[in-house]
Amino acid sequence: MTYLDNAATTYPKPREVQQAIAEAFRRFGANPGRAGHAMAMASSEEMYRCRVDAADFFHAPGPECVAFTLNCTNAINYVLKGLLKPGDHAVVSCLEHNAVMRPLHALANTGVTWTEVQVTPGDNDATVASFRSALRENTKLVMCTHASNVWGIRLPVERIAVLARQYGIPTAVDCAQSAGLLPVDMVDSGIDYLCIAGHKGLYGPMGTGMLITPHGEKLPTLVEGGTGTESLLEEQPSDMPERLESGTQNMPGIAGLHAGIKFVRRIGREHIFNQEMLLLRSLYRQLSVMESVILYTPIPDAKYFAPVLSFNVKGMQSEEVGRIAVRAGLHCAPAAHRFMGTLETGAVRVCPSVFSTQADMEALVWALRRILMKKSGRKH
Amino acid sequence: MSRPIIVVGPITYAMKGKNLLARHGINCRVERVSLSSAKNGCGFGIFVPYRTDEAERILRQAGIPVSGRSEWGA
Repeated sequence: MTYLDNAATTYPKPREVQQAIAEAFRRFGANPGRAGHAMAMASSEEMYRCRVDAADFFHAPGPECVAFTLNCTNAINYVLKGLLKPGDHAVVSCLEHNAVMRPLHALANTGVTWTEVQVTPGDNDATVASFRSALRENTKLVMCTHASNVWGIRLPVERIAVLARQYGIPTAVDCAQSAGLLPVDMVDSGIDYLCIAGHKGLYGPMGTGMLITPHGEKLPTLVEGGTGTESLLEEQPSDMPERLESGTQNMPGIAGLHAGIKFVRRIGREHIFNQEMLLLRSLYRQLSVMESVILYTPIPDAKYFAPVLSFNVKGMQSEEVGRIAVRAGLHCAPAAHRFMGTLETGAVRVCPSVFSTQADMEALVWALRRILMKKSGRKH
Repeated sequence: MSRPIIVVGPITYAMKGKNLLARHGINCRVERVSLSSAKNGCGFGIFVPYRTDEAERILRQAGIPVSGRSEWGA
């Protein structure tokens, strides 16, 4: 099977991830952070090791900064709804996913406002200037995607974080498409909140994500409940990460995520990125000579793009083209499609993974040629 | 016999503390502490049979939230 829908979730998962999940049912069958018996402690230990490796991977100050979430959306909701109060203003980019835009729209009912700033692909100075001009006296958060889930356009998040810090405003970054592919250094960059998907570039199972922050103790909670600690307290404990992890955690998922992080470290984040970019650039060249294909971005340059490419075929809806294992439509990111003028048609999105090959790219081009021939009524 | 446990509370900090002490060559392990020992109910601590005072000092210096000591353990 040619699977190029890795921006939605990576497939296949590495063998060690599959094995870690299966093993978790045998070795980590007890609830972590609750009881003190041997299997419960083994579960807790595994969960802790995942936090240590995740903190190390993103250069966070410590394992206590890593809170496990259901997914990246969950982490983003924690940040937006925790930080923004009535009358507050936020700055986001014009490329945000609905994971950012829908919580903002929900917060609009409470008097929260925001500005969507224009991103200039290939010109980070212009993008940072747009962010600067959008800041207001009541701006309480700057939040942006690290890389567009539709166009692969990278945002200069480190520079944006420096800018926000100058004004005393926290920065949150949606790393759904970038975690495991693009470098993120939390300490050096000064980014306050990293929202991470566990099941994409980190190769963990679906249903895993992380919110990494050194400020979790101050973040108001969206969900309260049992944490295994301070049970006599009626209010939620303040200690991270338990503060943000009420209820039983996804132990097999976390074990799988841990194996995924170790997998990416073993192969090398940069190596994976370079390999995927190579494939995508090769595909781009082939698509660019096909008359009916519309490309919206320049050939992906590693400095300005993540390995995601979207295109269309003249006269066809994206859903008609996207019948192979790619993703067509709006990709839950209408803002990004509005930016590129593809809100009506959507687009066909291609995203390789570490397991993708040149043969996959050829298969896509071949399938596309068949679709085009069918469209033009010729025999194939 | 006394079983000195440094009460920490959240298991994440208890494990972080255990690893820190291990790096200092201090033998220890994480244990669940008794209700009466834990701050506000359930929690975890680090059983440190020897060099307990030194261990507590190291933990506090590293920012591990130590909430007390239990000499009898769970």
